[in-house]
Amino acid sequence: MVQFLLKRLLAAIPVALGVSILAFSMSHLTPGDPVTIMLGARATASDIARLRHELGLDQPLPVQYWNYLTNALHGDLGTSIRSGQPVTKEIAARIGSTAELTGAAMLIAILVGVTLGTLAAVSRSAIAETIIMAFALVGISMPTFWSGLLFIMLFSLTLRWLPVTGPGVAGLVLPAVTLALPAAAVLARMTRSSLLEVLGQDYIRTARSKGVTSASVTLKHGLRNAFIPVLTIVGLQFGGLMAGSVIVESVFARPGIGRFAVDAILARDFPQIQGIVLLAGLVYVAINTIIDLLYGLLDPRIQVA
Amino acid sequence: MTRFRTRLRTYFGVLAITLIALGAASAWAQKVGGTVTMAVTEEPDTLDPQKTATAITGTILRYIGDTLVTKDLNGQYTPGLAQSWSASSDGLTWTFKLKPGIKFQDGTPVDAAAVKASFERALSPDTKSPIAGSLFAAISDIKVIDPLTLAITLSKPFSVFLDNLTDPRAAIVDVAAAKAEGDQFGRKPILTGPWMVSEWRSGDRIILKRNPEYDWGPSYAHQGAPYIDSLVFRIMPESATQVAAFEAGEVQVLSTVPPANVQQLQGESGVTLDKFLRKGVGLFMEFNITKAPFNDIHVREALNYAVNKQAVVQVALKGLGVPAYGILPPSIWGYWDGIQQYAPHYDPEKAKSILEQDGWTMQNGKFMKGGQPLSFTLYTAPIDTWTASAQVVQSMLKDVGVTMNIQTFEFGTLLSKLKAAEDQAHFMGYTYTSPDIVYLWFDSANNTTGLDLSHIVSPELDSLIAQSRTETDNAARLDTYKRIQQFVSDQALWVPIWTNYNYIGVRDSVVDAKVHPEGYLSLLDAYVK
Repeated sequence: MVQFLLKRLLAAIPVALGVSILAFSMSHLTPGDPVTIMLGARATASDIARLRHELGLDQPLPVQYWNYLTNALHGDLGTSIRSGQPVTKEIAARIGSTAELTGAAMLIAILVGVTLGTLAAVSRSAIAETIIMAFALVGISMPTFWSGLLFIMLFSLTLRWLPVTGPGVAGLVLPAVTLALPAAAVLARMTRSSLLEVLGQDYIRTARSKGVTSASVTLKHGLRNAFIPVLTIVGLQFGGLMAGSVIVESVFARPGIGRFAVDAILARDFPQIQGIVLLAGLVYVAINTIIDLLYGLLDPRIQVA
Repeated sequence: MTRFRTRLRTYFGVLAITLIALGAASAWAQKVGGTVTMAVTEEPDTLDPQKTATAITGTILRYIGDTLVTKDLNGQYTPGLAQSWSASSDGLTWTFKLKPGIKFQDGTPVDAAAVKASFERALSPDTKSPIAGSLFAAISDIKVIDPLTLAITLSKPFSVFLDNLTDPRAAIVDVAAAKAEGDQFGRKPILTGPWMVSEWRSGDRIILKRNPEYDWGPSYAHQGAPYIDSLVFRIMPESATQVAAFEAGEVQVLSTVPPANVQQLQGESGVTLDKFLRKGVGLFMEFNITKAPFNDIHVREALNYAVNKQAVVQVALKGLGVPAYGILPPSIWGYWDGIQQYAPHYDPEKAKSILEQDGWTMQNGKFMKGGQPLSFTLYTAPIDTWTASAQVVQSMLKDVGVTMNIQTFEFGTLLSKLKAAEDQAHFMGYTYTSPDIVYLWFDSANNTTGLDLSHIVSPELDSLIAQSRTETDNAARLDTYKRIQQFVSDQALWVPIWTNYNYIGVRDSVVDAKVHPEGYLSLLDAYVK
């Protein structure tokens, strides 16, 4: 187990390096000069040159990357061009909100997705199955921007149950559900097809013939085995949730990383863009490492050593 | 007896005065308190007036900062921190007399030396000031005459100077506090305004608290501290969310009502919409005169007759604006009202005849010359009202035989392409406080690096602009601006299209809020019901 963890951590290093190179080059390939944006229209050429020099933007790209990397290893992701505040501080101020949102959304997605998927798989009624699968289709196809606004209209303006925006649990419900919807739909479909496959296996028939109750067969023998491909999708969906937070945080005016990323990109704030992409990459690697560990817990045949 | 009566009268007199005073005090006390939440789209970069480059900071500074000179509700100059000022006859030396008793929000008294330090900080290269520094660029020397008197000398007569002093980013800064706070000063600046920054939650909100010491406000509001206890700026990037939060009562002020929601909110109870004409031309088509086909003035002229501005206003703005005829809107001082008659009006036949006289011939509904059709690509940005306008203009031009293709770029990309003169023509709009926008937009000094996006380089126009910036006599300046407006119209550098109204939404729980002609909501007299 420890060895596996070490291996995974070592493997994460080239991934992180790759992510950092990508983040670095992406922000430099996009058109638009942060310095002219910072100084405004009235800046003279010498003002621009001076600031470019101060920010190190006049150095060759590999030099800029090397400086960035060495500083990042010391926990210094640079200073935001836009606000003049350290990037780590800016990110730290917002990471909690995004973690709360994606965490809640993941939880809702797993609960709703797996429950609905299981119901669809074991349901003998074609109507129930059709309804559940129709929900999945709507969930996948509806853009979060649209569903978020619909939820606001229904629950905040018409029914007045929940605030449009705000801190606390009440303010978290609508954005979390909005963000969870597409992921729940994917998980429902995945759970259904995986469970149907497992329920057709010989050992399920054996369990049934032993006289194990139907619920126990489905949950203990069926779902546990069906959960492995579902878990893979959970890991992949996590990336989707992080991407989705960009839109959901804007719609619900939440102070998170996703919206921060958009602001950073619009302001050509290179240090911030790099910091956020690096963070997102690392979180993604970490989540998928955890998922790999969970495989071993669910299925003893999978050796994580 | 008489003495008794006199004494009685005195008693009653004192009693009456006390009662009136008590009444006034209780009315005042009733107004004090409450929270007003405003929705804003953007998060400021910094609240340091001298370091900011974002427009939203300018808005927030209206509440937390004060300038030496400001503008009243009619747009006229009025004392801010300075109770009076005068200019020398050569227009080079400006003397300002400060109001006594002003304090920074940390309690430090504001004297002439503190004001001098504030100007010097903005001008120092170390401050790297994007806007404030250039507002004061003409200053060559500042002298403290006595604790409340300051003399500012300019390197050359600069008529825009007084106007620049009213810019919110010219707010006087507590330099000692700025030094002590370093980078954190921008998160919680120490200024002199009616409210002060209490907390800035990144990405979420900025909370201001009432400054109880404040009694040096402008004369158009009551003297003394403001009533509203706390002002909250909620950062909400999506306009649809802003509107929903406004309707749900979570925010009481909507600083920019989206045009699509104006009609809906106008019909809603408990809500007041105030409008003001944008300080700038909202949309114009600008030609790159260094490239074909618009290096030919006749083609530019013809297009000026081909666009039905009124129709564009109706379609793209749903009527919430006015057609534009020149480079300045009526909302900016210096606007010449004769431009409406002077400039071309919609006349498609005239457009065609200009092109025919210019050697173009109509073939299959399209103008051709030397085997080439009259076609061009318009560069624009993904702004709803611009996109709608582009489509309307496209069909109007098609009607006169001109093909216009539309290409949309993200705004920053668009601007860099325009500066590099990669386009043939583009859509653009501006917002500015003074007519000095003509310097930024048409002076040859701003070609390729600045906003001279038509790339005109004209000594005649440059000298008119230089004149407008140095003349100190207002009547003469107005005449110069009139000539500049005529010149740009004669050269047909633009097809001015429209200037939109901006709407501010206020819920009825906020009483006595006033829309300032500078385009923000003055809350100095406002209170929460």
